[in-house]
Amino acid sequence: MANSLRLYLTCIRNTLEAALCLQNFPCQEVERHNKPEVELKTSPELLLNPVLICRNEAEKCLIETSINSLRISLKVKQADELENILTKKFLRFLSMRAEAFQVLRRKPVQGYDISFLITNYHCEDMQKQKLIEFIVQFMEDIDKEISELKLSVNTRGRLVATEFLKQFI
Amino acid sequence: MAEFVEADNAEAIFTRIEHKSSKIESLLKQYKPVEALKTALEGSPPVTKDERCKSANWIVVHRAIMAIKDIDSLFSALDLEYYDVLMKYLYRGLSTGDRPTCDQCLKIHEKLTERAGLGCILRCLADKVNTV
Repeated sequence: MANSLRLYLTCIRNTLEAALCLQNFPCQEVERHNKPEVELKTSPELLLNPVLICRNEAEKCLIETSINSLRISLKVKQADELENILTKKFLRFLSMRAEAFQVLRRKPVQGYDISFLITNYHCEDMQKQKLIEFIVQFMEDIDKEISELKLSVNTRGRLVATEFLKQFI
Repeated sequence: MAEFVEADNAEAIFTRIEHKSSKIESLLKQYKPVEALKTALEGSPPVTKDERCKSANWIVVHRAIMAIKDIDSLFSALDLEYYDVLMKYLYRGLSTGDRPTCDQCLKIHEKLTERAGLGCILRCLADKVNTV
């Protein structure tokens, strides 16, 4: 179990290292504009093959690259209804504060839970290795966070129910 | 004219894939998974735009990949020219989402990256002509 997670993260890390070769590329259609090509997908010659890495039926990671930008979309494992709700709320919380994260996308791509958009400007300001480290660390931490949240919800529910039902004893 | 050539090609490719498939089955029965994978990767990816040919080829390669148990011996036997093609098929396997396939592909992917380097991955991403 832990081994498959390690392999999954290694695969994603290697793919990101290879795919994160971005350079500045002004928009071809509109002058003086500079847009992340992976979002627009107007010119096929600027896009690389998108790569889908699945760990199992529930977890997957889509990496789409272009000449000046890269988009990573993650689907987090959600075992039951409660985890579903917790994941949605937690990741929505993060996505709404995307400004602070810089590389986060405000809305996840259709079919995924959260998306990152890394442009050449980010690569110029920040170190490539650290960016990749951040993404992989994020994936590890998300799982821990969701488990912790679930645990605390269950504990609190139990406490509240015990207290409430004491009055009927 | 191009249409006609394609159709002809597709039939030829299907027959080739069937031959490969039977050869691979016999090799697997003799417990030679590495040879089986080599046979599967030869002539891959098929030079055609037909999705069915590519799917048929993928099924054959998938069978060979799942039969591999010892990954280190695989790389000592496999030639360098097959690394790129193998990487493309690994990514196709990873996109299926089927648990045993993904487990196997992730294992081989790690070892293949150590062996072939990041260039292999990048060639796989960049090659839009010979897709798998």
